[in-house]
Amino acid sequence: MTDEPAGSAMTRRQLLSMIGSTAGGATMYQAMSSLGLAADSTFKAPSRLTGAPAGASVLVLGAGIAGMVAAYELRSAGYRVQLLEYNDRAGGRNWTVRGGDRYTEMGGMTQQCRFDPGLYINPGPWRLPYHHRGMLHYCKLLGVRLEAFVQNNNNAYLHASNAFGGKPQRFRSVKADYHGHIAELLAKAAQSKNLDAPVTLEDQQALLDSLRLWGALDKNYAYTRSLAGSERRGFDHDPGGGLSGRPVPSEPIGLGELLHSRLWEALPFCDNYDMQTSMFQPVGGMGVVGEAFGRELAPLIRYNAKVLEIRQDERGVSATFEDTAASTGRHSVRADWCVCTIPLSILGQIPMNVGRPMADAIAAVPYAAAVKVGLQFKRRFWEEDEQIYGGVTYTNLPIGNIGYPSTGYFGGGKGVLLGAYAFGLNAAEFTAMTPEERVSKAVEYGSRIHPQYPQEFDNGIAVAWHRSPFTLGCFGMWSEAARAQHYDNLCDIDGRIVLAGEHASYLPGWQEGAVTSALDAIERLHRRASAAGAAS
Amino acid sequence: MTATPTRWSRALSAAMLALLAAAAAGPPVQADSASFFAFSTLDAQSGEQVYRQICQGCHMPDGKGATGAGTYPSLAENHELASAQFMALTILKGRRNMPAFGAGHASGVFFATPPLSSEQVAAVINFVRTHFGNRYTDVVSVAQIEELDRSP
Repeated sequence: MTDEPAGSAMTRRQLLSMIGSTAGGATMYQAMSSLGLAADSTFKAPSRLTGAPAGASVLVLGAGIAGMVAAYELRSAGYRVQLLEYNDRAGGRNWTVRGGDRYTEMGGMTQQCRFDPGLYINPGPWRLPYHHRGMLHYCKLLGVRLEAFVQNNNNAYLHASNAFGGKPQRFRSVKADYHGHIAELLAKAAQSKNLDAPVTLEDQQALLDSLRLWGALDKNYAYTRSLAGSERRGFDHDPGGGLSGRPVPSEPIGLGELLHSRLWEALPFCDNYDMQTSMFQPVGGMGVVGEAFGRELAPLIRYNAKVLEIRQDERGVSATFEDTAASTGRHSVRADWCVCTIPLSILGQIPMNVGRPMADAIAAVPYAAAVKVGLQFKRRFWEEDEQIYGGVTYTNLPIGNIGYPSTGYFGGGKGVLLGAYAFGLNAAEFTAMTPEERVSKAVEYGSRIHPQYPQEFDNGIAVAWHRSPFTLGCFGMWSEAARAQHYDNLCDIDGRIVLAGEHASYLPGWQEGAVTSALDAIERLHRRASAAGAAS
Repeated sequence: MTATPTRWSRALSAAMLALLAAAAAGPPVQADSASFFAFSTLDAQSGEQVYRQICQGCHMPDGKGATGAGTYPSLAENHELASAQFMALTILKGRRNMPAFGAGHASGVFFATPPLSSEQVAAVINFVRTHFGNRYTDVVSVAQIEELDRSP
């Protein structure tokens, strides 16, 4: 670059700093991909297992999605199946909290949910991407009705406490202005003589045409206050009929302010494969899936069973457990094979005679922190006042997200928001609070985005996943190094024991990981059992 | 005929310069060096603050841990804490389901816990080892924490 403008030293430094900070955002998405969050489901149309060896039995530990998929398919293949579950309900992290429900977290603090009938919060998973075909398959099989889940809402907000005076910006405007300004700059570059004519005239014109279309630029390739731009970012006065219907275009946010706000970091979120339209949710809450599975498998499940020890020998697997609802001492169950879906955070503390590779793998995975807060409000002000129907507002406040319900629109009455969905440091700090403090903090932070909060707040409930007695964390947080060293060893069958769950998948934290991991595990177990059955 | 990637990347470089010129000419802004997403760090100073804001999430306000299907170990009257080094390595590098909090080990991915500073790690160790029924008199230094964090 020989013909730099004046002040080029400063410009170069700014350029590097800018590339660095832009790379920060890109690195995050890359990291999310390497976590497996953008990976496809390996689910194939159900190829049912058949022909269990005569009299063969399987013990399944954990009645979450992985355990119940395994139990369902093994039973239909002809195995005798029994299931042990720590909770007094089926589903595990597939869970919906409704009015009247009680939840006691580790440390003993109990919350009573006071939501109105029909309102709920999903403390765990809350959405089903259209390509998570395993989950969709079992929903259909179990008669679970699905409805659209709104992930991307252009009328929801992007908010940074230290940008635009803390005033939330509509997602639509930030996106339009970001595209518009970038398109204008690229158009200038494309027309520049400094290009040393490396680009043909046809290429140049095609590029300019595409930039004008993409960025809503005017005839001079400028992004300005215009009707075309407002078709993207919204109007000061919407077009309508008659004399009052003349549209008034809105003023774009300046490029400098937009860049420094860093709100653009949130723009690509819904472009990720696992956030793209269409998404679904079960009618009545995600927990409907676990509940339906629980009814289907009712004769097989023993609830309130806390597993204390798992032992295998040449002929089978035994699990010792205590019934936490009855002081009846230790119980033992035995089967030929075992599918263990207990989260690694807990399994690592349960004596189990497996080889070093699996034991090391179990010990190699820390658990992610996450906190969700459900807030009931006296009216659906986000719809009535702000025309936000479903979707998510993203903020750099510790609450992370505000999620608007994808159902019950125009219904009147009360409504429940996801008032916080915190990760990382924010989740750790929320976890360290009492449930009441978490709720009141969520109301305090949220009121900076929706000033109606204090007036309309009714009641709330907070679930911090590290305080969850049945998981001790949200999900297995694999590093790339740990995965390279331990993942295959975690998934390989050890003698008569195979592990399954989201922790044994490339879809951490997604139910589809649990489904595909369970199917993969039982297929391998079935082959081994069939071979052993034939041999004996 | 289409342009080669090199030509386009040259065009892009020029665009970046133009973009910066425009950004610099914009109105005064509230600069925000921190990421929009939550990679922020804990601003706690004292060991007690670090404990109250992070550690008690699992080890509980009374330091006694808790039990559900599994257990968070009690830090109260804990003989394993006789080794400040053991405690430091646990916090810095993580142990089993407990995430790493050391700057050299806490990964920067979306869901990861953010690193604590060496000062914060030293402070919280010295706090825990002199509270919850623990009466250890030796003090761990920031330099010791930094050295342990550098170790593989």
